Amino acid sequence: MKKNTAWKILINMFFLVLVAMIIYPMFWLILNSLKSNAELYDNSLAFPIKALWGNYKRAWDVGLSTYFFNSILISSITIAATVFLGAACAYGLVRSKSKYKDIIFFMILGGLLLSPQVALISLYKLLAAFNMYNTRWALIIPYIAFRLPFAIFLMRSYFLSFPIELEEAAYIDGYSTFQTFIKIVLPISRPILSSTAIMTAIFVWNEFLFALVFIEDKSKMTVPIGLSNFKDALSTDWTVLLAGIVISSIPMLILYLLMQKNFIKALAAGSVKG
Amino acid sequence: MKFGKKNYWLYILPAILLIGTFVYVPIIQNFYFSLFKMNSYTDEKIFVGLSHYVRIFKDDVFYTSLKNNITYALISVICQVGLGTVLAILIESKLTGRLRNFYRNVLFMPSLISVTAVGLLWYFIYNPNVGMLNALLTKIGLENLTHAWLAEPNVAIYSIIAMSQWQYTGYIMVLILVAIQKIPQELFEAAEIDGANGIQKSLFVIIPNIKEMLLVTSVITVIGAFKLFTEIYVMTMGGPYNTTQVLGTYLYQSAFMFDEMGYASAIAVIIFTITFTASIIQIRMAKSGKG
Amino acid sequence: MKRNSILLLVVVMVLSLFLTACGSAEPEAAQPSDSTEPAEVAEPTAEDPITLKFLHRWPDELYDGFFNDMAREYETANPGIIIDVQAIANDPFKEKIKVVLGTDEAPDVFFTWPGEFTNRFIRAGKVMDLTDVMMKDNYIDNYVASQMEPFTVDGKIYGAPVRVDGKIFVYNKEMFAQAGVEIPETWEEFVSVCEQLDAAGIVPIAFGNQAPWAVSHYIGTLNQKIVGEPIHAAYDPAVGDFSDPGFVTALEEFERIVPYFNKNTNAIKHSEARENWMASKAAMMYIEIVEIPEITRNGPAEIQDNYGVFEFPEYVGGNGDQTLLTGYPEGFVVSNTTKHPEEAIAFFKYITGKEVGLKEANAVGWLNGAKGIAKKGEISDSLYENTQIIYNAGGLVNWLDSGMHAKVTNEYLTDLQMLIDGLLTPQEVIDNVQEVATEVTSEF
Repeated sequence: MKKNTAWKILINMFFLVLVAMIIYPMFWLILNSLKSNAELYDNSLAFPIKALWGNYKRAWDVGLSTYFFNSILISSITIAATVFLGAACAYGLVRSKSKYKDIIFFMILGGLLLSPQVALISLYKLLAAFNMYNTRWALIIPYIAFRLPFAIFLMRSYFLSFPIELEEAAYIDGYSTFQTFIKIVLPISRPILSSTAIMTAIFVWNEFLFALVFIEDKSKMTVPIGLSNFKDALSTDWTVLLAGIVISSIPMLILYLLMQKNFIKALAAGSVKG
Repeated sequence: MKFGKKNYWLYILPAILLIGTFVYVPIIQNFYFSLFKMNSYTDEKIFVGLSHYVRIFKDDVFYTSLKNNITYALISVICQVGLGTVLAILIESKLTGRLRNFYRNVLFMPSLISVTAVGLLWYFIYNPNVGMLNALLTKIGLENLTHAWLAEPNVAIYSIIAMSQWQYTGYIMVLILVAIQKIPQELFEAAEIDGANGIQKSLFVIIPNIKEMLLVTSVITVIGAFKLFTEIYVMTMGGPYNTTQVLGTYLYQSAFMFDEMGYASAIAVIIFTITFTASIIQIRMAKSGKG
Repeated sequence: MKRNSILLLVVVMVLSLFLTACGSAEPEAAQPSDSTEPAEVAEPTAEDPITLKFLHRWPDELYDGFFNDMAREYETANPGIIIDVQAIANDPFKEKIKVVLGTDEAPDVFFTWPGEFTNRFIRAGKVMDLTDVMMKDNYIDNYVASQMEPFTVDGKIYGAPVRVDGKIFVYNKEMFAQAGVEIPETWEEFVSVCEQLDAAGIVPIAFGNQAPWAVSHYIGTLNQKIVGEPIHAAYDPAVGDFSDPGFVTALEEFERIVPYFNKNTNAIKHSEARENWMASKAAMMYIEIVEIPEITRNGPAEIQDNYGVFEFPEYVGGNGDQTLLTGYPEGFVVSNTTKHPEEAIAFFKYITGKEVGLKEANAVGWLNGAKGIAKKGEISDSLYENTQIIYNAGGLVNWLDSGMHAKVTNEYLTDLQMLIDGLLTPQEVIDNVQEVATEVTSEF
C-alpha cells in the first residue's frame, strides 16, 4: 500500500507539471492582455499595474464584433444545412432500395478522403465564375459540401440500427415519408445530430484556408482570419491583439462547458481533427 | 404504396449535388489544372503537360516542405498518440485520484482554442524580445538557452511542432480515454484475478483492446500533419528562408504569390496522393480492427 | 403524392438558395452586370446608388480612418455614389490583390506599387489606360511630373501617387555625439561610423527583416549605386541579366555592415525594429520618408528633438548616378473591368487630387502627387524638408521587391536572409538569382 501512495504522489506531480505547462501560457496571455504596450515591452512576466479592460473593448470595436457576427451566422447556416441535408441523405440511403445506393454511398465516402487544400484553386475559380467570391456563401456552400460526407457517414451508421417498425407504425397512422422523417426519425436521432452539429461548429470556427482566399471584405471575415489580420492592422499594438485572442477563445470553451458529455462523444464518433 | 418502394432520391439528391459540385468537380479539375501554366488574375492557360511534376521533383523547397510535413507527422504520432496513451492510461488508473477530471479537462482545453488563436499566442510566446519563453528562461538563469524561436533555421520548425503538441496531445488523449472506457470491466477483473499489476494490465488488457483507436488516431494525426497550413501561415509564413515551409503553405504561396497556379495544382495533387493513401489505410484498419 | 410534393418543395428551396447565392451574391452591390451597353447604366440617383469599391493597403485605424473620412466626404458631395472602402495590410496585399483581380469582385479603384508588380496586371489587361483622361485639357498638369513617371509604362499612363516616398537614414543625435561620430558622406565613412558606434557599446543599426522586403531596400540602393544602369536590364523579367560583377560587389559591401545590425534580425518585424530605434536602443535606421510621421506621432518625447536624417552615403567609384534616391511613389489605379468607368475615374481623380492631398498631408503626414501641396507653412516643417529630399533627387529608383518579377524577388529576398545568417556567399546568392531570372525569362 505504501508503494502505491508513493506512485500516487509521483504521478500527481507529473500531471501537475503538465497542467502548469498548459495553464501558464494561457495565464501569461490573460495577464498581458490587460497591460499597456509599454508594460509588455518592459517585462512580460510581471503583473499589470492596473488592469486595462479597455484593450478588450478596443479589440471588440476594431473588428472582432463583426468577425463574431460572421462566424456565428456562417456556422449556424452551415450547421443547420449540414445536419438537415446530411440526415436526409443518410436516411434516404438507408431506406432506399435502389441498386445505385451503394455506389452513391461510396462516392460520398470518397468525399471524406479529400483534403480541402486540394480543391482550393479550382474552388476559387469556380466561386469566381459563379459570382460567389467574397460573399458569405463562398464559405457556407463549400463548408457544407466538405462536411456533408462526414455527416452522412456518421448518421448512416446510426440509421442502420434504427428500428424500421417505428416508421411502419407511423405510416399506418397516415404519416407521409417526409412527415415520418421529420417527426419520428429526426427527434429520436437527436444525439447523433448534436454530435454532427458540434463537429461542424468546431470545423467552421477553425477553418482558415478557404476563409483566407474566398473572402476579401473585412465586413465578411470570420474570426480566424480577422484575428490574423489584427497582427498586421494593429502593427505593434500587441496587448490589444492578445485581448482579441482571449475573446475569440471563449465561445468554444463555453460550448464545451455546457455540453461536455456530448462534446467528447462527438469527438470520439468523429475521430477527425477540426 | 408499399413501404420500401418509395422514391428516396429527393432525400439524397441535394447532398449529392453539393458534394459533386463543390468537392468532386474542383478536385478533378485540379488534376487538369496541374497540366497548365496559369495565374489567378488572367483566364489564359498554357498547356505544359507533366512538366510541373518534373519540376516538383527537382525543387528544393518542395523537399524541404515534404520533410517538414513528415517530421511534423512523426513527432506528432510519437507525442500525441504515444504520450497521449500513457496519459490516458494513468488518468484511467486509480492513481490520479479525485483530480482526474480536472487533469482531463485542462489537458483537453488547448484543443478548444482555434488554431489561429493558438498560433498567434505562441507567436508572442516565442518572440525573442518580449516573449514568455525567453523571459522565463532568463529569469531562471538559463539565458544561454534563449533563442529567436521562430527565426533560427534549425529551431523554427521544431518550435511550431512543439506548439502543436501542446495543443493536441490532450485531444488525442481524450479520444483514447473514451476507447479505454469502452473496454468491458470483466477483462480487468479477470486480469486482476490472474495477479496482474498495473503495468501488466496496461500491456495485456488495455493496449490490445484499444488497438483500433490507436491506429485511427495515428492516421488522423498523419493526415492532419499533411493538411498543416494555419500554424505556419500565422507564425512564420514559411520563413526564415523556407525552413518552415510545408506543402500547404507552399501550395498557397505558389498560387497567390508567385503567380503559378498550375504548379500549385501539381503540389495539391501530391497532397491528395498522400492524404488519400493515408485515409484508405485508415478505413482498411478500421475495418480489420472491428473483425 | 402530397408527401412527395413537400419533398420537392424542400429540394427546390435548397436549389434556389444555391442559385440565389450564385445570382445576386451581393445585394448591396447589385449592378446591371450583364449590360454591356453603357446606355443602360442609368444616372445614379439616391434610390439606385452606384457602389464603387476602393481598395487600399492600410488597415491601421489612422490611415483606414482617413480614407474612410475622405470617402464619406465624397459621398456627401456626390449623392448617388457609395464608396465601399476596403483595406488589406502590406504583406497579405501582395497575394490578395491577385486573388481579387481574378474575379468579378475586382475593386474599381485600387492601390498598387508601380513597376513590375503593376506591369503584370497591365499585361493581363486589368488596369485601365488613363492616357486620354490625363491628356484631356492637360489634366496631368495637376500632378508633379516626376512622380507620374513611375505610372507611365510604354508611353501610357495608368495611375497616380497616393504618397511619394524615398528611403533615408534616421539617426539618434545623442548617440552620435556619445560615440563622437558625424553624419557619414561616403560608404566608407558609413562603415567606420558603424565601427565607432559599436566600439562605444551602441547598437549601430536597427533592422527588422522578418518580412524580407526590408533587406531589399538596402540591396536595391547598393545595386543602383554600384551597378548603375545595368540594373534595369537585370530587373526586367524579359532580360534578367545579373552578370554585372557589381551585383556581387553590392552584396559584399552589404556584408560589411551585417555585424552592426541588432540581434535576431530575421525574428523582428520592421515596425518592431522602428520601435526599438525610437526607444533609443540603436543609433540608426534605414527607413522610408513616409515613416517619419510614425516617429512624430508615436515616438517617445526623448526622440523628438533628438533625431536627424541623412541620405544614403555616396559610393565612391560606383557606376551608378549617386544623386538618385531609392524610393518610388505608391499609387492608385482604376480597374479595367469596372462597370462604372466614369464614376471610377472621377473618384480616382478626387482621391489622388489636391483637395485630398492637403488633408492627407496634415492628417497622416503623407504627400500625394498633386501639385501645389508642398508649400512651406501649409504642411509640417519635417514633411516639407523631407519632401525636398525627394524632389531634389536626381531621380527615383524603384523598390527592388516591386521592380522585379515575383519569383526573382522571392529568390533574391530569401537568399539575402540566408546571406545575413552567413549561410550563402554573395556569389552564391547572385548565381541562384540568375538561375531563377533565366527561368523566368525563358517563360516570358
